Amino acid sequence: MADIIQAENLTKVYHGKVKAVDHISFSVSEGEIFGFLGPNGAGKTTTIKMLNTLASITEGRATVAGHDVAKDPGGVRKSIGVVPQELTADDELSGTENMLLMARLHQVRGSSLKSKVTDLLGLVDLQEAAGRKVKTYSGGMRRRLQLVMGLLHEPRVLFLDEPTLGLDVQTRSKMWDYIKGLNKQRGLTVFMTTHYLDEADSLCKRIAIVDHGTIKVSGSPAELKAAHGGDIVTLTLSEDKEDLTGFFSGIEGVSGVSREANVYRIKLPKTEKALPAIVTGVLQKNLEIAEIAFSKPTLDQVFLDVVGRSMRDEESSTSDSTWENIRMERAR
Amino acid sequence: MLRETLALTMRALQKWVRNPASVMPGLFTSLFYLALFGSSFNPGNLGLQEAFGGAPTYITYLTSGVICIILVFNMAFGGIDLVLDRQLGYLSSLLTAPIPRAAIYLSGVFQNLAKVLLLAVLTFIVALFLPSGLKLPGSFGVVDFVGVFIAFILLGLGLSFIFTALALTVRSIDSLVAIVNFLTLPIMFMSNTFFPPSSFPDWLKTIANVNPVTKANEAARLLIVNGSLSASQASTYWSDIGYLVAFAAILGLLGYLAARRALRPE
Repeated sequence: MADIIQAENLTKVYHGKVKAVDHISFSVSEGEIFGFLGPNGAGKTTTIKMLNTLASITEGRATVAGHDVAKDPGGVRKSIGVVPQELTADDELSGTENMLLMARLHQVRGSSLKSKVTDLLGLVDLQEAAGRKVKTYSGGMRRRLQLVMGLLHEPRVLFLDEPTLGLDVQTRSKMWDYIKGLNKQRGLTVFMTTHYLDEADSLCKRIAIVDHGTIKVSGSPAELKAAHGGDIVTLTLSEDKEDLTGFFSGIEGVSGVSREANVYRIKLPKTEKALPAIVTGVLQKNLEIAEIAFSKPTLDQVFLDVVGRSMRDEESSTSDSTWENIRMERAR
Repeated sequence: MLRETLALTMRALQKWVRNPASVMPGLFTSLFYLALFGSSFNPGNLGLQEAFGGAPTYITYLTSGVICIILVFNMAFGGIDLVLDRQLGYLSSLLTAPIPRAAIYLSGVFQNLAKVLLLAVLTFIVALFLPSGLKLPGSFGVVDFVGVFIAFILLGLGLSFIFTALALTVRSIDSLVAIVNFLTLPIMFMSNTFFPPSSFPDWLKTIANVNPVTKANEAARLLIVNGSLSASQASTYWSDIGYLVAFAAILGLLGYLAARRALRPE
């Protein structure tokens, strides 16, 4: 697949002081869902703003759907749909009126417009609420409306900035289904930012983890998980007779061991090869296994390795990021 | 560009029409100025009718002044909706759509102008029905009414050009309110809105004579008081209209440049 988004050394400095994005390079293939993952203030939204022409590029270059973002912003705008973080549908207008306004602004006309609006609203289960003012909608309904408002002009790339922010678990999962459907049925390229790890894992073909304005690591979720520790076996012995850390580390295929009394956490990039040797070794030493558990690695583990703190810590400690955002806002 | 400007203007007007209560505060302001302040004295009783351009009642003199007050204040504060659009992210969603930046600016200009002109017409009608209210000469016809409103439209257009650009430039409602509060009262008081400048001290008279509000009031009052204009009155009228055209054109250019700057990528 050809690259539909290309970024080379993309950099954004606000007022010569605050470096929000620092020489990042990446590409997105046509038809894929690409996720930008990172904590608050990492540079995700600034990157999306540069790509959708809302922010100027301080250094570097980017193309979207073959259009240079700096030289041909009009061409970029014709090729993209943008679903921002904020809920921007007009409260005083109905769902249908919001859609029709967006159609007029994107020069979408013709006899099929009304049926197109109806179809898109149906796609996100809003047909029954279409005639109601948006101020009567729930948060999830507004997000769904915004999602299809960005599709009326059949863009080649859809930018989603935190598409499920503030939604409950059930509505989030429904939104994922809509996004997956759009990607599959329409071949739509989706560039999304999120700070939900499960969201990135479930939706994205490839992700990039960003922090402090730089890309720390990128690849498919499976690749990243494999590269950052692989599977984990948690082995609990009946008694804490001797330290087996050295023994387990010596087994081929084991990439790391940690011990807490009689509980061992063993990282295995290739579980099939190492697991029998671990079990056999323990039994040969006449030790008894009380419990053995196997878990697949998560993106949280990857995030922890790459960023140095878990996303949950990030979410619970918002004060730093809030100040970071205020600083950035003031710099703008 | 016309199509997008129209679509955005209609969006704002649609919301406004659906909430008729939003017209009421403006209409009450007009009513209080005309009925309470306007009835407070009569230039004829004080032998000042000539100084007030020959207006038979003070409300006849004040009606155009009140319409100018509505124009200045509503244009100045009308930008609050645009600041809200920016704060709520709506403006960003417009900026990522393939529409000319000028359409975003012009729709702000025209939506304010359309709202305020409706209020101006209602004020004119209300003034006609007040006791000792607006007394039009027998010769006053539709053409004169249009002539009066051409002056108001040009003043409103100039004000809307600059205040819309200001609203796109500032980032918070507090900043906008602080700036327009600083500007609006001097604009009104340094003009012939309430009293003829002939009684002003020289420094105030000099400022009032170049104030576009004075020009709009002067042009409108010539028609409101006299109906058919003499040659010299017609000359004054057209000279005022020319001044207002230049005012609107200059502020249009300055406003466009300021708006273009305000709508640049951040």
